Parts: sequence; structure tokens; C-alpha cells
Amino acid sequence: MQRTLNTTDSNRGMDTSSPAVFVNAELLSKYVGKKVRAVVQVLRTEGGNIIGNSTDEMQLVIKGHLPPQLTTFVEVIGIAESNQSIRAEIVTNFGDTFDALSYNRVCQLANGDQKSLFL
Amino acid sequence: MDDINLTNNAIAMICNGELQAEEDMKPVLQVYDIKLLSAGQQSSNERYRMLLSDGLHSQQSMLATQLNHLIHSGKLQKGSIVRLSQFVSQTIQNRKIIIIIGLDVIFENCDQIGEPKLYVDGPQVRTSIPGQSSVGHPGTASVNPQSVSGSAASAPLPSGSLSAANVIGRASLHQPKPEPHANPQSYGSSFSGNPDSRVFSTTNGPSMYPKAESGARHPQSTSGKYGDQTGNYVNRNEGGSRAPLNTYGRPMPSTYQQPPPTYMNRGPVARNDTTVRTIPIADLNPYQGRWTIKARVTSKTILKSYSNARGEGKVFSFDLLDSEGSEIQATCFNMAAEQFYGMIEAGRVYLISKGSLKPASKTFNHLNNDFCISLDIGATVQPCAEDDDSIPMQQFHFRSIADIENMDNNTMLDVIGVVSSISLTVSIMKKDGTETLKRSLQMKDMSGRSVEVTLWGNFCNAEGQQLQSLCDSGKYPVLAVKAGRINDFNGKAVGTLSNSQLFVNPEIPEARTLREWFDTEGKDITSVSVSRETVGVGRIDVRKTVSQIKDEQLGTSEKPDWITVKATINFIKVDNFCYTACPLMVGERQCNKKVNNNGDGQYRCEKCDQSVAQCDYRYILQFQIKDHTGLTWVTAFQECGEEIIGVSAKELYDLKHEDEDSFGDAIRRVMFTDYVFKLKVKEETFSDEQRVKSTVVKAEKLDVSSESRFLLDMINRLVEDHNAFLGKAANVVMESGMISTGLGVNQASMMNSTGMRTNHVGHGSPYNSTKNAIGGTGVSVFCNSCGGTGHNERNCPSIINRQGHPGVSGHVNASHAGVVSGGSSFTGNMSSVYGSGGGGARGYGGGTNQRVSY
Repeated sequence: MQRTLNTTDSNRGMDTSSPAVFVNAELLSKYVGKKVRAVVQVLRTEGGNIIGNSTDEMQLVIKGHLPPQLTTFVEVIGIAESNQSIRAEIVTNFGDTFDALSYNRVCQLANGDQKSLFL
Repeated sequence: MDDINLTNNAIAMICNGELQAEEDMKPVLQVYDIKLLSAGQQSSNERYRMLLSDGLHSQQSMLATQLNHLIHSGKLQKGSIVRLSQFVSQTIQNRKIIIIIGLDVIFENCDQIGEPKLYVDGPQVRTSIPGQSSVGHPGTASVNPQSVSGSAASAPLPSGSLSAANVIGRASLHQPKPEPHANPQSYGSSFSGNPDSRVFSTTNGPSMYPKAESGARHPQSTSGKYGDQTGNYVNRNEGGSRAPLNTYGRPMPSTYQQPPPTYMNRGPVARNDTTVRTIPIADLNPYQGRWTIKARVTSKTILKSYSNARGEGKVFSFDLLDSEGSEIQATCFNMAAEQFYGMIEAGRVYLISKGSLKPASKTFNHLNNDFCISLDIGATVQPCAEDDDSIPMQQFHFRSIADIENMDNNTMLDVIGVVSSISLTVSIMKKDGTETLKRSLQMKDMSGRSVEVTLWGNFCNAEGQQLQSLCDSGKYPVLAVKAGRINDFNGKAVGTLSNSQLFVNPEIPEARTLREWFDTEGKDITSVSVSRETVGVGRIDVRKTVSQIKDEQLGTSEKPDWITVKATINFIKVDNFCYTACPLMVGERQCNKKVNNNGDGQYRCEKCDQSVAQCDYRYILQFQIKDHTGLTWVTAFQECGEEIIGVSAKELYDLKHEDEDSFGDAIRRVMFTDYVFKLKVKEETFSDEQRVKSTVVKAEKLDVSSESRFLLDMINRLVEDHNAFLGKAANVVMESGMISTGLGVNQASMMNSTGMRTNHVGHGSPYNSTKNAIGGTGVSVFCNSCGGTGHNERNCPSIINRQGHPGVSGHVNASHAGVVSGGSSFTGNMSSVYGSGGGGARGYGGGTNQRVSY
């Protein structure tokens, strides 16, 4: 699936100019306050939040407005609030099958030497 | 006319061997009688038999076919006086026959001179031509041995064995060899004569002939052997072989029994030739004068017909082994082949003489001898009455399976091993359209290696079945292969030829040793195979880009290249996407040849020579594929075509002609879809030009997840290379810089979407060396198998089974070099490093640089 980068509504008054960084749980902590994107496996919903597994098998909390129907995997683009939670601005259903391993690897690569390609 | 002096006693001398054609003596003889022998199916084998007389004796002779014209023109007729210029005296079926190769007619017609009596050679068993001559030739009843005074052998057999059946003249021809002592007796008995002559008189008459036929097959000691064997011969060979049968007027198959006449007169009467001086095979050379060898036939090929620039011919060859263990191959062509084919039996011992020695050719000869024997019709082949134990039955020169790996293709060898597994027989279509059987098995030996042995043709059912049942019952048999041939189809393997021999559990020391080894330790160890058993895995999954097909000149070498390409279907030729195919079955497969529309609603197949009302439609889909590097055309046939389009060729054909819109939809659905294609790339010649053609062998819709894995693996390897390289003070900028030329912003998203799992774990060992890949700039290595870092799937501790698949090499330097040098941030070093053939400069050996050049 090809996705283009979206810039968020500037009304929100947040730091939106930079593109979202591919993160998993491990990397999230490095980008607190920054715009990130992550694919999360939905474990359950609590209130208006998603409790899910990151691609490296750690639990994350996704807050914000969520679409009514969620598939097993969702992509979340938003601001990292803490090293365990993301305030979602865009949530996209990614379906029920997803190669988490590949994604995880991409996160690592994207934040390694090849960072310049992404950010 | 009576001035003619027939050469005195010529007949006797010829028969005795005293008079040979090579001497100056060219005997003058009279043709007492001429008879055309029924030639069987082929008129070209019309043979004339003549009774030659020197006034005193007469003898049967055969006229060489090249002289037939003399009879046709009337020059040579009964009563003619002739001078023999070239002839040979042979003993056939215990009868002396003079083969006339050259003669001059002195007088065309002359009255009969003298009262020649049929010459009977001394100890020679006189065969009874009576049967022959009495058929349709009452005039030559005089030939009847009855009239031969003082001649023995009207009853060559001891009277005891002259049972009614044997009376049949033919049968009596087969003087059983192992009864040499019979001879004197036979003379005795024949002299007592009357009962025997009576016997013969009863055989006179036309009925003789057919009876003789059956007599010929009468199993009677050694003659029975011939009968059997030549019986086989007769069955096996149609047409031409029968001609010589009838040519010599004998219903017996065309074998000549030839005890060497020279010996007969010199040595004792006994047939077992103990007094003949034989030389060892090792002493044979082209400069050796007269020689005789005593050897056993260890193998014999079938009688093959061939045609080359010089015409057609027949050939067969056999291997000889003597008591010293030396081997030599003997070959016979044409007439000699027919002559000796029925006589030679594998396993029997023969005395061979008067062949010529020639240098052995490596292609046709696999024995350890610089020479080979060529036998023509003048050669002498005499079976030995008794077996000779000093001559081994078989001589093997076994090589260990480990050696096979280093031996050249097409080498002949003997090999022995324990059969560990055998597969079922399959039917293979040969290039000439005929089908043959094939069966493969694995065998291993003490060298710790195993090899695939392929059985072809009859071996599949005979020995193959035997091996199968032995393996099934858990008794892994020892198999010895003699004269197998090495082929390098998949690694090295051994295949059987028509003259190969298989021995299951042979009683030889090597077999015993192997058995012991296997039973104690061999069966448990896993052998490394010199044959690549899995066809295709290592071979086909070589990933290339479209541009590499051209850049690397794939397909231009002798063998086709099998590659995998991930690409998108760009354009499909809809004009001729299928052809009308013949639906008739040829054996187990459909003919599938293109049929032509007769116009009357019928489709004609040239190959099957039939017309059908309903033809099959088969795909011949040409389409263009494209990836990030380029475009190319490929062709997909029936199976792949259906895979891609999704409907059968017939359906699509109907759709095109009936519902154009749906047809368009069907095609559009396929366009621009991503596939992973397995291609067979080969350069072919079309009229005068060479074109590289790619055929789709398999088309799989792109599986994003797998492709992602594949790409990640390539990245890994790139990283590894890079990290290892770092240790040698490489340019750090290289990697990131290199990637940046190719990668665009879309990389991120593309990385998400594409990828392939590499299933072949452990590509090539060179990479195994870099265990610690975390170094340098800190790009960690990630294992695609278990998801861990710090190692990759090649080193992954969770992987137990490693297969060596050196094939997957990803993108090769060639395509890199071009791109690489285009970058601005690169130093000069780079192109030289990456431009080289991979590994050399870096000391990896064999590995190629993985470059994700998206």
C-alpha cells in the first residue's frame, strides 16, 4: 500500500511540519513530542483508547479520536506523548494481516544510517 | 572349350586352406551350378550360390553381391569357366564355403568337365546341404552326401544323437562343439553308413526346407545356445537381418561358425583349441602380424543402424577381457556386424583372430586400451567349447564417488555403491519425439559422498525394479555400474548407456567391503551429494533486474539462464495470444502441435497425420514486463498464460470473438499487476540473427510480505558488506550516498509495501564470516528468520538446516557500476571497488554486493 505523507491541520497548533518518523516502541522514546507513525496491533480498546502491540511487541496506548471500526492492524500518525503513548491524529486501518517483522526492520533502518532519506 | 584346364585339385586346396587368394594362384574352376537363394524381404540381398568344380571336386561358394551382375547379364552361368581372383574360404555351419569376391569369366559356357564330387574336408563335419539343394534343385541331388564316396559326415552326429529331429539337415549342421570326440566316431558311424544315408534320403524333398527351419531352432547343446541367442537376434532385428539368413540358404540365423581353418589343419582335431597359441590382449598392436586372443566377452552392444555422409551401415561392438585382466573393445561394421552379432554372447569365451588393430577413440571406447579391434568378415571368431576360469567374468575399475566430482563430463567409469534410495520410473520424451524410461537412484560409498545414478530404458524395469524391492524391504543393495557415463546436469551424476551393465549385489570383494561398511556405519552417516538433488531451487531463484538480462548477456552461453525477476506487466499483445493446437494424445501427453485450418471445419495436424473437428487452444502469450531498470518482452505458454490471465486460452479466445468488452476487461485486469516471474533466458537464432528470448516458466503474483523480506535481506547483506568493508578503511559515505542516488522519497513507503521473504537460508558461505556486523556506523544486522538482531538468518541459531544456495545473488555490480559512478559524492575508489566482479577486491570471494537500487 502506498501512502503519501499528510500534513496535519495547522489549526491544531502543534509541531506538524516535519514528516512522521517510523517508530516502534523502542524508538518512540527518542521522538517524544515529535510526529511519529507506527503500526500497532490492536489488542483491545479502552474508553477512547487503543491498547496495542507495537511491531516490536511492546504495549502502546493510542489516544485520540478513533474510527468506529478497527481492523487488527492500524497505522497511527500522531505526536508521541510519552515513550508509551501516541496522540493519534490519523488512524488508518491496515487490515488483518500485516508483516510486522518487516515493518519493524524498516523502522530500524529508517532511523539508522539512512535516516536522511526519511527525515 | 576343352582346352581349358581347370586348376588341378584347386577345390581341395582351397578347402584345406592351402590355397589362399592372396597368393598368385588364381584357380580356374568351372561353375557347376548356380542357384539364387531366396533373398527374403530385400532384393538387394540377392545372393547367388554356385557350385564350383575343379573337375575332381566341387564345393559350394557364394558369390559376392557386387558380382551379381555377371549372372544377370548371362556372362556367368552354369558351366562357365571362371578364374577366381579374390576369394576366401570359410567354414559355415561346419561346411566349407568359398566366398568369391572377385572372379573373371573365361568362358561363358562350357560343358561340364569331369565328374566332380562334393569335396569333404578331412575331419570337418560334413554338413548336409541335401536339404538345401534338394529344394527346388533336384538336379543337384548329386550333392547329396550319399554320393560322396569316402566322405564322412553325412551323419556328423554320433548315431545316438541322430534322433529323428536331428535328421533335419540343418540341425545336423550344428556340430556340437563339446563333442570333438564325436568326430572320429561320426566317421565311423557314417562309414557304417547305411542307416544314416537312409536317414538323409528321407530328408530329401521340399519339405526339408521348412523342417530345417524348425530344426534350426532345435535346442541342441551348443547349437542351442546359438539358436537362443540368434533367435533373439532375429526377433530384435527386422528386415535387413533376415536377408543374410536366407542368403546362405540356411534357415538358421546368420551366424557363421568358423573354427579357424588354419588351426584345423595344423592342430589336432579337437575343437577346444588348446593348442592354439594365444597372446595376451596387452600385446596387441597394429604391427602385430597374425595373432589370436582368447578372451571373454564382458559386454556387447545392440546392433545399431546408422547413417552418415557415406551412407548407411550397421555396427555393434563388444568388450573383451583376457585372463591377464586386460580389456579391449572390438567393433564390427555392416556385413561383419551381421555375421558376428548372433555369434557373440556376453559371458562366453572366444578365440579371435585376423582382426585389425586400430587406435581407440576416446568417445567410443571406455576401456583402458590404446587400441581397439576392428573385425571384418575375414576375421575369425570362434567360441571356446569350455569356459576358461582363468578369465574373470568381469573386470571393474571402480572409482570412488568422491572422485566423480572432479571428473570431466562424459567420462565413462565404473562405480559401486550402496543404493540408499530409488525413485519411480518416469517417462521422458526425447528430442526426437520418442519416449524413454528414466529412473534415478542415490547411491553412496565409503568416501562419504553420494551420487545420483540415472537408469535409462530397460534398466528401469529390470534392475530398477529389483533395486526398488530390495530397498523397500530395507535391504539396501549394492549396485555396481559398469560403463556408466558422467553428466553434469545437476552437479555430477552418472547415467547408464546402452552398453552399460548393472550388477545388483555382485559377488566381488568390493561389494562385500561395501556391505560391511554400510551395515556397520554407512547407513547412518549422511553423505554429501555430488549431484544437486533439488532441481531448480538453487538454480531458478537467482534474482535479477530487467536491465541485467541485457547487461550481463544472460542466455548467451551454452545453457539457458534461469532467473527470477520481479516486474510489472506493462503491455500484452492481444493479437495472437494463442494458437490452434492438436488435441490428440501421443502416449501420455497431448500432441499440442499447431494445427492448420483445412477450411472445411477440420483442423489438420501434420505430426499426427490426422484431422480433428475440434482443436485445442493454447496460450502463446507475449507481453512486456517492466521494472525500475527497464523493459523486456517475454513469452508465456499454456500453463503460465492461464495463471496470468486467469482464464483458459479457449475462453479468452471466445471472449475476444464474441464479447469484445469483456475481453478488454479481462486484459485490463491483468495489466500493471506485479509479478515475480521465473524466466528462462536463452539466445536463439532466427534466420540470421541472434535474439535473446525469455520464456516465463512461472508467474507468481507478487506477495508483498515475501518481497519485503527479500529486500530486507538484500539490505542486510549490503549492510554486512558495508560493515565488513568498513574495517578496511572504506568510504563511509559510500553506503548512504549510494543508496541516496537510487532511493527517492518514496522509498519509505515502498519499503513498507514490497518485500519478499528469502526462503533460502544461508546463501553462499562468504557471508558467514561476518558474524559481528554491528560495527562501524552502527547499522545493526537483523535476522529475517527469527527477528533478532546481531546476526542474520545465515548465522541464526534457530536455523538448524543449512542449504548452500549460492544462486541468490541479488543485483550484481554491473548495474551498480553505472549508477554508482553517476553519483556526485563518490570517490573514484568506489567504482573500482563495486565495479569489479564482486568480492575480489574485498576478499569475500564469490559474494556479490547487494544493492538496493530502488
